[in-house]
Amino acid sequence: MAEPLRQRLTQAVLVGLFVVPLAVIALQAVADSWRAPSLLPQQLGWRGFEVAFGTGGAASAIVNSLAVALLTTAICLLVGWPAARALGGRLLPRNGLIALLIALPLLMPTYLAGFGLTEWFIRLGIDGTLAGLVLAHVVLALPYAILILLSGFNRTVDELEEMASTTGAGPLRRLLWVTLPSMRPALGAAALLSFLVSWSQYGSSLAVGAGRSTLPIVMLPFVRSDPQVGAAFAVLFVVPALIALTFAARSQRSPL
Amino acid sequence: MSAGLEIGELVVSPGGGSPVLRGVDLVVPAGRRAVLVGPSGAGKTTLLRTIAGLEAPDSGRLLLGGVSQLRVPAHRRRMAMVFQEPRLLPHLSVADNVALPLRATRVGRPERRRAAAEQLGEVGLDGFAERRVQGLSGGEQQRVALARALCSRPDLLLLDEPLAALDPNRRESLRRLIVRVQERHRLTTLLITHDRSEAAELGESIALMLEGRIVQHDEPRTVFERPGSGAAARFFGAANLLRLPGEGRAGLWTIRPEHVVVGSGSHRARVLEAVYRGTNVRLILDWDGQRVEALVDPTAAPGVGAETGLELPRERLWRVDRPDGERAATGERATNPWPAGPPRGA
Repeated sequence: MAEPLRQRLTQAVLVGLFVVPLAVIALQAVADSWRAPSLLPQQLGWRGFEVAFGTGGAASAIVNSLAVALLTTAICLLVGWPAARALGGRLLPRNGLIALLIALPLLMPTYLAGFGLTEWFIRLGIDGTLAGLVLAHVVLALPYAILILLSGFNRTVDELEEMASTTGAGPLRRLLWVTLPSMRPALGAAALLSFLVSWSQYGSSLAVGAGRSTLPIVMLPFVRSDPQVGAAFAVLFVVPALIALTFAARSQRSPL
Repeated sequence: MSAGLEIGELVVSPGGGSPVLRGVDLVVPAGRRAVLVGPSGAGKTTLLRTIAGLEAPDSGRLLLGGVSQLRVPAHRRRMAMVFQEPRLLPHLSVADNVALPLRATRVGRPERRRAAAEQLGEVGLDGFAERRVQGLSGGEQQRVALARALCSRPDLLLLDEPLAALDPNRRESLRRLIVRVQERHRLTTLLITHDRSEAAELGESIALMLEGRIVQHDEPRTVFERPGSGAAARFFGAANLLRLPGEGRAGLWTIRPEHVVVGSGSHRARVLEAVYRGTNVRLILDWDGQRVEALVDPTAAPGVGAETGLELPRERLWRVDRPDGERAATGERATNPWPAGPPRGA
């Protein structure tokens, strides 16, 4: 009896650590009036969301952020896959150096990375465009995608692919029957991280966006000036992230 | 339909490094079972992988049923391979794993299920079709891998130490299964092992590989009793390499430890070591400064330090360093222990 009880207690504490802060933000978002000494709001209402979608411009920011994040994710997976494959298969000379170079953008503040990119984006005429934002986010998300996919391309995958080719499976069938199912957890994690890096990107978006609104950009001013609107934005911000997390978690049930 | 395998002067350098196979010659006629033995690092696995199309050779010939395979990609070669590990797909059921080769040739699902069930029956896994592969023991997984290999009805079956990861009892039953299945289908088969006695039990012929070459290919009895070189003698456990006194007995001779007679005989030797090994005693004897190993019955074994008689029966002695002409003759035979000549097709 003692063991299950302790387990459930631990679970409750862990869940509480995640849920309570989110619940407080959600409550704040619908608290039209919540004065200091009181533990609960005096008056509930939708003012926060009304302002967020009114003067805050949340709707277009969400559309922009979603479009950028989904495109970033797709590009990261498409570019990261062959890159990780080449690095994992040690097909290149100076493998370690290349991996380090790929990780370099992670070592500096994102605003600086964005600032450096802006100069070139202006020359190329893509600053302030959707394409410019996606490109800047890819620079910052791709290293994560490659490193995660790299961990997925292990010896087991190579061995299973070899086995498949000796059973008569050509390149396409090997990909569909062996490689993709084996890589599902790594693909899920890489997609999640690419999405979240883009979705929560502030620094580089500020630098290259030239005023094009994404959710973090329009949200931040309100966090200081009007906490209720800030909290409403935070709720809008967290929901797609939670959905992405749920999808990724489902892909983690690895067949391997 | 089973087809003969013919390999000539095959040179392979995996990953573009230094050559691991340095001119391999090997013939396995259609329907025969050959075993490839050799110390680790000799190139056995590289040879099997090259035959299967997983490594590209630098030069040489590789024919199956008389047709060159060098430009045929791995998935189009009419071969099946069983690896040291079962290499099953964990997200598929046992039956779907077994039927994988049929899926590749677009056989319909009902037919695949029927074939998988039949194949599972043949390897002694009736009723396993719907099981998940994770729950199976190592021996069962390797049986599934064998069933998968047989399912494609290959012309050539390659097995890379399929028994290495199993405990002795499972090894024994899987060994018998491999022989039974091979004989039923008369499948041309090439199997790797590093275990000498397993090689003798499994092979209709044994090919010994040393440092990237096949140095001898003969019937089991021949390789054990008439090794082609000192190195071959040592590999097959003929630990005795002796210089014999007397007229017409120049050169290096070998005799297997179990054929050395201790206790009587015309020579005298002193026992240096005696190790009890369950079914026999291994003696190390000093015979006029030469080291002689002998296996004797525990009841008749002399103790350490004892002087004893020693006989090396003439018919059991084999000269390993043949003069050049004779060696060439042995070498030619080494690539084909079957006198019928090189195989063409089935």
